Amino acid sequence: MAELWVEKYRPKKVSEVVGNHDSVKAFVEWMKSWELGKPSKKAVLLYGPAGVGKTSLVLAYAREHGYDVVEVNASDWRNEERMKMVVGESSLQATLDGTTKKIILVDEVDGIAGREDAGGLSALRKIIDNTRTPIALVANNPWDPRLASIRDRCLMLQFRRLRKSEVIKRLKEIALAEGIKVTDAALKKLAERSEGDLRSAINDLQAIASGRKVVDVDAVEALGERNRVREIFQALRIIFNTKSLRAARAALEGLEIDLDMVYAWLIDNVPEQIPNPEELAEAYEALAKADLFLAKASREQKWKLTRYAIPLMTGGVALARRTKPHGFVKFTFPSKIRLMQKSRAERELRHSIASKIAGKLHLSSAKAITHMLPYISFIMSRGDEYAKAMASYFEFTSSETKYLAGEGGEVEVAKVAVEKKRKRTRRTKRR
Amino acid sequence: MSSSLEAIATLPWVEKYRPKSLDEIIDQEDVVNSLKNILKTKAVPHMLFAGPPGVGKTATAHAFARDLFGERYIEDGHFMEINASDERGIQTIREKVKMFARQIPMGGLGFKILLLDESDQLTDDAQHAFRRVMEQYSATCRFILAANYSNRIIEPIQSRCAVFRFRPLLKNDIIKHLRNIAEKEGLEIDDQALEVIYDFSEGDMRKAINTLQASASISRKIDEKVVYQVMGYVSRGEVRKILELALSGKFKEMRDEVRKLLYVQGIMPTDLISAIYRELFYLNLPEEDKLDLLDLLGEVDYRISEGGTPEVQLMAFLARVAAKGKGSK
Repeated sequence: MAELWVEKYRPKKVSEVVGNHDSVKAFVEWMKSWELGKPSKKAVLLYGPAGVGKTSLVLAYAREHGYDVVEVNASDWRNEERMKMVVGESSLQATLDGTTKKIILVDEVDGIAGREDAGGLSALRKIIDNTRTPIALVANNPWDPRLASIRDRCLMLQFRRLRKSEVIKRLKEIALAEGIKVTDAALKKLAERSEGDLRSAINDLQAIASGRKVVDVDAVEALGERNRVREIFQALRIIFNTKSLRAARAALEGLEIDLDMVYAWLIDNVPEQIPNPEELAEAYEALAKADLFLAKASREQKWKLTRYAIPLMTGGVALARRTKPHGFVKFTFPSKIRLMQKSRAERELRHSIASKIAGKLHLSSAKAITHMLPYISFIMSRGDEYAKAMASYFEFTSSETKYLAGEGGEVEVAKVAVEKKRKRTRRTKRR
Repeated sequence: MSSSLEAIATLPWVEKYRPKSLDEIIDQEDVVNSLKNILKTKAVPHMLFAGPPGVGKTATAHAFARDLFGERYIEDGHFMEINASDERGIQTIREKVKMFARQIPMGGLGFKILLLDESDQLTDDAQHAFRRVMEQYSATCRFILAANYSNRIIEPIQSRCAVFRFRPLLKNDIIKHLRNIAEKEGLEIDDQALEVIYDFSEGDMRKAINTLQASASISRKIDEKVVYQVMGYVSRGEVRKILELALSGKFKEMRDEVRKLLYVQGIMPTDLISAIYRELFYLNLPEEDKLDLLDLLGEVDYRISEGGTPEVQLMAFLARVAAKGKGSK
């Protein structure tokens, strides 16, 4: 096999890019805005499942409009230094003068996040802020929390799985160009199995066609089933739209994302996807029951119990949702992860306070927080000698003392609520 | 110099008035009598202390050890306390136990006592590992396991322990104890205030004493009003806010609040449920709906004790509150 068909038949012009017309159009407009010198965002993040034309679009545009592509694959570099060298240099050259036009293409951005080279990400962030060259980022899963600040800087363009008809059409063109006969049934089978991933469909076709002049269904079937990782969005889409328990359960089959992660996505997306409170309560109840089975499964190593959890968490939600929201509501990233990041400083402070209390009073930290902290905080909020003595007994630092005395966070909130209720002002709020 | 004196004078009262000997333990006659018999024979079994918070499990373990080994029971290395919910894994516990049990102290009884507090926080795996630790070291170390839920302790451990059940404290005894402390601290407190503190404490002595001390920090003369002031501060105004958000259908805001309490502030889920329980009766809903919600809250409470994820279980409850809120309008 001299040349890979996926390379040989890569689109040469934007108009040859298959599917995802809206995102393709938006990308072209974004490039145009660069050429006019007024890009809305300095970078674009093309995201979606594999093999749907993200990288191909960038390459096709560059080829068609005479850009050089500075291509960086995430596997090429791992650290900040290299990032700066390869990407940083190119990004700072004023290149839109017509002589050396460049696009920087950073592939597998989510691959950077997955590794330990976070320095590369912060370098990339800085490069985006300062670039004078369009930067196109490509990712399968852009929802990694570590990519949050990158996402904010990018025009986000989603690429979806291609339609079966789109895949079939392209395969037909290739077959014709290669002079092989592919039966309609075989084309259909290839397209089905690709699940909208054109690259894998072309690879399959090439593999089957080698040494053959005619490709039929049997030949396709002989290649064996691809075990494809379906992205979480697709699973959610099924769960939120099906009315069949079996389909809902099947949505998680072959998913290589662990069940806890799916659960986190579900639990965060139900409020938006199910506008009717009664139905929402039903969905949550199903999720809560699934949670019990999952907890029991892992606590007692009774893995068999997950078979009850899965239909409950998928089908339970599916059947509860009888009313749909007006218009399309997009799926959101589980917010708990961000909350944990944002609150790190406060949590550390509370943890330190709790361990001091726990150490003195024969308690666990959890109990110290629940059973002691509010009372100690009350005494400390008075700021008198009594409070000072308390602080010195527990050896609180000055920031811990301040926190407990109510100069930040939860204590303040609670106090405001109480004061409102009691219509009484003990002392004015500082802030 | 003077500041350290003050510090001593204002020691957290839960510590200052912790019972020193079995004779000072309030209520729990059955437990105390059995333990006194054990003191006579000095044949100390492994023990499981089970019961709700604030009824004296940890205090009894300390008092027992003190009566058994004397004043310097900790300093001389006869007794150690490990908190299961703070230790990261069975490995740390095993190492700590090994370190502790390896040396037999001079003048002791040939064994030491290790208190594993909040032992129901250990996972099943950790409990099975711990069970082996118990067997390995039982010649030189006796274990007291304290737990809120004995059903979360695996059978093999329970069967190796003498199980002592701690009962909720009696109202009169809590009030008597509070009065006692008030007298020693030179406070004036009226009966009404004591009643209010008791109700608020729900039979938890620690909570009762804390409320008394916080009240005393406002005024040496404590009446009902002073206690309410403390209660207003400590009794989770956030919970009321959460319920109000649920009733008005602001679901995402509510969820964020719940998460803040659970994950940022680290409030114990059982405490949240208790606060919800208290508020439930005052919700602006038909009585039948409140009864339904009460039923569900009990279910949620039970599920959490069975290992359900608190956030998820609470959200299921709050979603039901939201649905009721919508229905009643």
